[in-house]
Amino acid sequence: MSIGTEVDVQAGTVTSPPTPATGRHTARWVAVIALAVCAGLVAVLATRPSAQTVAARSPLVDTHAVAPPIAGATLDGASYRLPRAPGHYVVLNFFASWCIPCQEEGPELVAFQFQHQSTGDASVLSVVFEDTVGDARAYQQKLGVTWPTMADNDGALALAYGVRSDPTSFLISPDGRVVASVTGGATAKGLDQLVARAEASGYGT
Amino acid sequence: MRRHRFPLWTALGAVLVVALVLGSGLLTSSPPTDAQRAAAIESVVRCPTCEDLSVAQSTAPTAVAVRAAVTQQIAEGRSDQQVESYLVERYGSSIVLDPPARGWSLLVWLLPLLGGCAAAVALGVVLFRRRRLSGPDGGRPGPGGPGPDLTPEAAAERRTFLARSLADADAEYLAGDLSDQDYLALRQRDMVRLAALEARTGEAAAVGPAVTQAAVAVDERVPEVGIATAQRAGTAVSTAPGAGARPRLRLRRNTWFLVIGCVCLASALIVAVATFASDRQPGQSATGTFAQTQAQQTEESLAQAATDENQGQVGQAAQLYQSVLHQHPDNEVALAQLGWLEFETGRQGNSASLIADARAKLLRAVRLAPSDYAGHLYLGTLLLQRDGNAAGAVAQYRRFLADGPPAALVGQASPEVRSAFQQAGLPVPAAVAGA
Repeated sequence: MSIGTEVDVQAGTVTSPPTPATGRHTARWVAVIALAVCAGLVAVLATRPSAQTVAARSPLVDTHAVAPPIAGATLDGASYRLPRAPGHYVVLNFFASWCIPCQEEGPELVAFQFQHQSTGDASVLSVVFEDTVGDARAYQQKLGVTWPTMADNDGALALAYGVRSDPTSFLISPDGRVVASVTGGATAKGLDQLVARAEASGYGT
Repeated sequence: MRRHRFPLWTALGAVLVVALVLGSGLLTSSPPTDAQRAAAIESVVRCPTCEDLSVAQSTAPTAVAVRAAVTQQIAEGRSDQQVESYLVERYGSSIVLDPPARGWSLLVWLLPLLGGCAAAVALGVVLFRRRRLSGPDGGRPGPGGPGPDLTPEAAAERRTFLARSLADADAEYLAGDLSDQDYLALRQRDMVRLAALEARTGEAAAVGPAVTQAAVAVDERVPEVGIATAQRAGTAVSTAPGAGARPRLRLRRNTWFLVIGCVCLASALIVAVATFASDRQPGQSATGTFAQTQAQQTEESLAQAATDENQGQVGQAAQLYQSVLHQHPDNEVALAQLGWLEFETGRQGNSASLIADARAKLLRAVRLAPSDYAGHLYLGTLLLQRDGNAAGAVAQYRRFLADGPPAALVGQASPEVRSAFQQAGLPVPAAVAGA
């Protein structure tokens, strides 16, 4: 602090004594405002969905978008194309052999496929995501998978569906729209519920 | 001093404006190329599987896929906006690194702006008040105001005010309400003001007797005070002249700060211009960004390629090695690994040209880095399997074993190494004999 200021402060005491009450009021107001800002911030952050939840929500589902086309080579080297309107529900499952939740949901998917095979109202279609073709094939053989699995070597399918992590599943309606998504391990029961809900919302045939 | 201030501030302002104009990129006239557009988009798109990196910085397969999609869509003639919304439609708005400028996220953009404005206003108020406090007569305007057209009445009034202030200070000091230092400083100030007032009105002769008496009375007491102060605290007397000298010193220091600031800004500007003028990678901003050095990028690419190779994704690995070689044609690791991949592919597909490429790369790798075991191993295997040159292979394998390879690699390579030594009719080294 410069000497000039000190002198002015002193001059203040000589000519007109300063009022300490004003200073205290200012501090109180600053504290109140800071408190209000903090409380507002906490309220906003507490009521909003977390960044992870936001990231996990698929915009394709939010907009009931037409399912991005699925075509390309399967693990067996054959080529496969999902019809624009599949005519039944399709569980599109992105997976990797090394991922534990994928290994947990594997048998569930097999069960789901088996249950719906006779009625033909739903089927499973897998896409390899962040895994090698060899490992994925070995894993599926051990699991007893009968449905087609896309190799997706260049990651184009994962990009088209906005997949961020293994496993992620999408439910495609018979008329070819993305109606639900599951991030993390899916269960046969859970998938049945999703199908039922989509049916109830009028996405059935 | 005061006269110097104006051009210095102006220079500072001019330098700032020039820096801002250059930094804004207003001067770049030519439209960006497709590669530049792609790079610009890639630098603001988040890598889907690795949270806080842009796809430009990441080597993850998903990032590679996004980069490919961006390049393809730009080639198809889509606008930057369309490419971005294509990604947002799939991943959500969090795929873009910058938060969207709407809803609550708008605060992120507005708060710094509002804070900056508030700070500027506060600074202005403080500077304005300080200027008023240290005006040319060294003090707050007294009753009547210190304008240039000081009327005799106002001058008299101000003089009385100062005299009263001095008398008050005396009284307070004698009553023990003021410290030595404060008293001396106060007295100093009022005397200076009084002197300035006299000088301005030019009526030193016409000073009222009462005021003169007060001033004389004070002056007479100064030695007294000095002695008293010296007795109480030896330093107090010397504070008075020091206090008088300090304001001038302060001004000079301010000027120096200003000069140093200008020099710093000017050198920053020179660096900025040099960066602008020099070659930059597409999308790299002149002001710098959080980016890896080339060495780091090479390192990461090589590590990623090795991982891909181990996972059997040979195509991706080869692509990464090629991109490393594109930037650093003499990178021995990339040369050796890509040479090996080419040899294996060429052997499977029976392609002579691929094997010739592989041979060239491996020879180059061995020549560039004679102590790198991998190159020797690969070259030895090529010589043995392709040329049936057991003696040549043995020479390479000897170098391989001598360069301290990891045990796992020795174990993997031992059948080949053993057979080379056997074919050449030489004793098999102990390192590979047991396996």
